[in-house]
Amino acid sequence: MNKVITINLNGVAYQLEEGGYEALRAYLDNAAHRLEGNPDKDEIITDIEQAIADKFRAVLGAHKTVVITKDVTAVIAEMGPVEDATKGEPATGSQARSGTEGATGAAASEPGAARRLYRIHDGAMLAGVCNGLAAYFNLDPTIVRIGFVVLTIAWGAGVLLYVLMALIVPVARTPAEKSAATGAAATAQEFIRRAKEGYYEGFKSWNDKQARRAWKRKFKQDMRGWSRDLEREVREHAHHWTPPWTQHWPPHSPSIFGAVFIAPLLSLLLFALLLALIYSLYSLVTVHAVLGVALPPGIPLWGGILLTLILFHLVAWPIKAARYACYYPAYHCGHGGPLGGFFGGLIGLFCFGFVVWMLNRHVPEFHEWLVQLPGLLQHLGDSLHDWWVKR
Amino acid sequence: MDFNEKFAPITKGLLEFLVLKIIAADKVYVPDILQQLSVTEFATQEGTLYPLLSKMRREELVDYEWKESESGPPRKYYELTAKGRTQLRETMEFWQQINETVKNLGKK
Repeated sequence: MNKVITINLNGVAYQLEEGGYEALRAYLDNAAHRLEGNPDKDEIITDIEQAIADKFRAVLGAHKTVVITKDVTAVIAEMGPVEDATKGEPATGSQARSGTEGATGAAASEPGAARRLYRIHDGAMLAGVCNGLAAYFNLDPTIVRIGFVVLTIAWGAGVLLYVLMALIVPVARTPAEKSAATGAAATAQEFIRRAKEGYYEGFKSWNDKQARRAWKRKFKQDMRGWSRDLEREVREHAHHWTPPWTQHWPPHSPSIFGAVFIAPLLSLLLFALLLALIYSLYSLVTVHAVLGVALPPGIPLWGGILLTLILFHLVAWPIKAARYACYYPAYHCGHGGPLGGFFGGLIGLFCFGFVVWMLNRHVPEFHEWLVQLPGLLQHLGDSLHDWWVKR
Repeated sequence: MDFNEKFAPITKGLLEFLVLKIIAADKVYVPDILQQLSVTEFATQEGTLYPLLSKMRREELVDYEWKESESGPPRKYYELTAKGRTQLRETMEFWQQINETVKNLGKK
């Protein structure tokens, strides 16, 4: 069973399946973007819509009143990409666009089909950095790994680079992100992504005021549409949403509630915990004590730091997992279950500690900043307190 | 060798000429044009043809009129203007020249 959306093509209503609707809108958005600046833009779009409507009519019959997604994508493929005849674009072989190795390369150089750098967990050895880099540059992951090892042996920089990238580069989790990581072929999602990207290009290239206004209007309209889509998506996944710590809650509690109210609270909590961690680490390093509790004799400083980190992780990890479940209900069980996330987080934390330690030792400015940090926090707390009192 | 790939710029460039030729023969609407082209090396799609026709109309090579159809909304039927006819004749002559050149070059 699929939801149906009614659209208006030149004054005639058609009912499309939801996926088809999204693909069609992305196609038309893309067409409008390509025709930007063409004096006949509106007329061409009307013609195109009319042609699509004719094709839809041919698909429908007395016993079929809804255009299914497969029909829509077939019609879009039949229409072909809209090429602005006044711009003399190079012929982008429309048939060469689907899937083969060479075509992916060609698509990557085409504006709007850009890849994104992600970490890829599938088939990764550590945090997926090399895997992601390999996908991004179209190389064999093994070669990238060897490169990192060589870098490490030669200058010791490989480890640092790896750790930094593991911290900065996001993980490809959703199917859309995964296909963006490898620059995969144009699915409906890819269409939508390209259309979105078109806006930013459009903003860059505007010249006359009218085009700019038109862009703005359309952008706002579509943003509203997308936020509606997002809400719906979250709603539809609501029944997946049962994080372990809320098992006793009614199973239908809408997940939008989790994403809007609980997640920010959890984030605040995490942030407070992080501040506490930084503060304890600092006092551990300077006075060898946390909140007045001195390190037991016999435990070295690094042992204390390690213990603090592990303690922090034990407290923070369930919160993180719960927050993640709020945002991504459907993927909540992925990546080797909660335990995988647990160790991944632990490794990330150690990497973070390692980077801070290295910076502290080798970058004097960072060391100074670290020394000043408690004062800064104190100042922040005071000003917050003042604000609260004055209010 | 993939001729379609190799000669893509040529087929693309010739498309306007061929569309002129098709429209010169009879008043047609877009599905007619696509259908006539579909069996040739110049098969194309709406996404390419509509923008091309709009450009040609702006250059006053073609014009259209609305005609009622039995099934569905009115359709745009395209026809050549005087300027379009002149252009078609000139392009035909040029094409003949090219053909002659291709035929005669390299002959002993």
